[in-house]
Amino acid sequence: MAWLFVRLKLRLIAGNLRGDAVRRIGFVVTLIAAVVAGFGGLALTSLLRLAPPDVAVQVGMVLFTLLAVVWIVAPLMAFGVDETLDPARLALFPLTPRQMATGMFAASAAGPWPLASILILLGAVMGLARGLTGALIGLVAVVLQVALCMVASRAVTTGLSRLLRSRRGRDLLALGVVVVILVSQLPNLLLSRGYGDDARAFLSGLASVVRWGPPGMAAHAIADGGLVGLAEVAAVAVVVLLLAWVWISTLGRAMVTADSSTQAGSVRRDRLEALLSGGPLGAVAGKQVKYLRREPRGRMGWLAAIGVSAVLIFTATGDAEAVPAVMSALGPVCMGALLIGLQSANLFGGDGGALWMSALAYSSGRDLRTDLAGRQLAVALVGVPILAVLSLAAALVAGEPLAAVPALLTGTGLLLVALGVGAVASVLMPYTFPDRLNAFSSAAPGQGAVAFAGSMVAMIATVALAVPLVLPVFLGLTWVSVLGVAYGFGIALGGRVLAASIGYPRLPEIIAAVSRPA
Amino acid sequence: MTPSAGESPRAEPGGSPPAVRTRGLFKRFGPQVAVAGVDLMVPRGSFAGLVGPNGAGKTTTLSMITGLLRPDAGSAEVGGADVWRDPVAVKSQVGVLPEGLRLFERLSGRELLSYNGQIRGIPKDEVARRAEELLKVMDLAGAADKLVVDYSTGMRKKIGLAAALLHNPKVLFLDEPFEGVDPVSASTLVEVLRRYTASGSTIIFSSHVMELVERLCDWVSVMNQGHIVAQGPLDEVRGANTLNETILDLVGARGNGEEGLSWLGSSSA
Repeated sequence: MAWLFVRLKLRLIAGNLRGDAVRRIGFVVTLIAAVVAGFGGLALTSLLRLAPPDVAVQVGMVLFTLLAVVWIVAPLMAFGVDETLDPARLALFPLTPRQMATGMFAASAAGPWPLASILILLGAVMGLARGLTGALIGLVAVVLQVALCMVASRAVTTGLSRLLRSRRGRDLLALGVVVVILVSQLPNLLLSRGYGDDARAFLSGLASVVRWGPPGMAAHAIADGGLVGLAEVAAVAVVVLLLAWVWISTLGRAMVTADSSTQAGSVRRDRLEALLSGGPLGAVAGKQVKYLRREPRGRMGWLAAIGVSAVLIFTATGDAEAVPAVMSALGPVCMGALLIGLQSANLFGGDGGALWMSALAYSSGRDLRTDLAGRQLAVALVGVPILAVLSLAAALVAGEPLAAVPALLTGTGLLLVALGVGAVASVLMPYTFPDRLNAFSSAAPGQGAVAFAGSMVAMIATVALAVPLVLPVFLGLTWVSVLGVAYGFGIALGGRVLAASIGYPRLPEIIAAVSRPA
Repeated sequence: MTPSAGESPRAEPGGSPPAVRTRGLFKRFGPQVAVAGVDLMVPRGSFAGLVGPNGAGKTTTLSMITGLLRPDAGSAEVGGADVWRDPVAVKSQVGVLPEGLRLFERLSGRELLSYNGQIRGIPKDEVARRAEELLKVMDLAGAADKLVVDYSTGMRKKIGLAAALLHNPKVLFLDEPFEGVDPVSASTLVEVLRRYTASGSTIIFSSHVMELVERLCDWVSVMNQGHIVAQGPLDEVRGANTLNETILDLVGARGNGEEGLSWLGSSSA
């Protein structure tokens, strides 16, 4: 049974690669990354031998825990349910949960990443073990740690597979990606803020947190190499068995539980609708605001923009005496404005295949201009309040509340410039957003180059057009920021007039470009 | 934007132009010719079926007539106005339910209709009134506030049809409107469409369910390999045969289900 599943997995990988150069390259890159991570990890962890024993153990424990966390989180982030991991696909075959668990376990052990993990862990045995018993216990600990990683990861994916298959669950997880990325910046932030002046103290603090988790115990057992080590290995084994039991019983239930994806809640009727006037402009702006709120891609982008500016607010003001308050408030706000604005570089991609509906109603360039104005209005309606909050926060952290005013004005101007540039980029270089979100591709197969060129050109053009607005403020001429908003309005207007005149005759081509199967 | 409920600005001479006429419509995708010079003609007020096997070019033809796909050559007219040269006159007169039905997934059904009406310049209150009636007729009132992304295939077809009807077009293009629709929803759709043509409006729909075409249509155009191979009133095209037999003759395909598959069925051991 196990061998059958391994063959299925290999067959799926092979089938996935057939006839698609991009995927093939992606697979080769993955392989190389796994090899580098495996052998690099092996070399680095074996170097722990050179560190003082107590530091080595602490690093080992943190490393083992980190590996387990990555194993649990990564499949969720990659929406992960590849076919060998999704119990529902296998539910119709005459298999007992136990057979299925064995098979799925074997299938998930086949692949570049499990092997890389084993290499890293073996390196840790070399680095941590003191003496023969330590090495022997270490080998057992490595096997158990790998088993722990895989069983825990499978148990979590199986437990969440119902959620993962529903639209709502995937929407939620998309937000999770951003949260994970931002949280991964936390240690960095703490260190740069000076909480971790003493890296040793930081490490031992972290190690004491993970000491009694199963991965921590496995790492400690290797270094201990005695009776305590044996006891710890036994404890980890018990945890693995327990998790396996949980997994098999959830598997049994997951196979006979119906898909919940068709049971959907209703949306509230909108209060915003009443505020926006009727007619094309209000309709487009209303639709866009709803999309910003309801579509995971939109929420991800906005959350990322806010997150990055928040991180910048704290890092930029780290050494407050070196930088004047106006500048340290201005930097993060402009960054936030740029990140929000650049999301408008492929406006029609957000509509995707539904763009025909608007195109069918637009019978002149004027209609398209109204559409673009509605989209710009929507971004401004949501973006400017966010920039206001960011400006205030940045100014307060910098210790100069009044700096919020030029920061907000400049940020708004920059956002408007980005919207004008984005309108033109949207009609010149439209591309399809893929249905399923993933971290590595933001465009349909074959359109990666267009997507990359589009966002690069939009960014360069925005920055270039924003220089006359941002630079004087940076140099201390804060009054220029008052003109900045007017300047931004001008660029936004010019951008959409130009975009409409280019875009209207190109509408059929734009529809084709944003409706590619992805 | 032309108020869509209004009269056509075009004066109609004695022999009023047909609802749809194309001349030499041609489209090539890479090496493959999808539509090889189609001369489609559909008289006003007819319930017309565009039939033919998979890959005959039906969807491509409809996309080009509705202005969503640029033809390589040829022309298309709706109500006497050229689709590509006079979009203002054409776009307010046509409603479309395209293949694949990609809709604004993150709007609710009600919001989708409201958006559609408002971008066409229909006053907000009027849009709300029409949307409410359409939702009721389509039996979607209960799902009106659910997101379209969570709709089933049948519900998507119905909300798509409602969106296509909202601005009261003179000509309605439907690409496979009954595919994947349950019988109850299908009979709702048929009833709405019959009422619509009874008032003198025109429907052109593509399908490969011949029984349905025979039951509904008074005019058929048969396509095969990018050409129109027969066109006219239903009774003229099919003569004494059923439409299905006529089309099998026209397309030149006769089943070869006799050979092979001898093991299939319960009589074999």
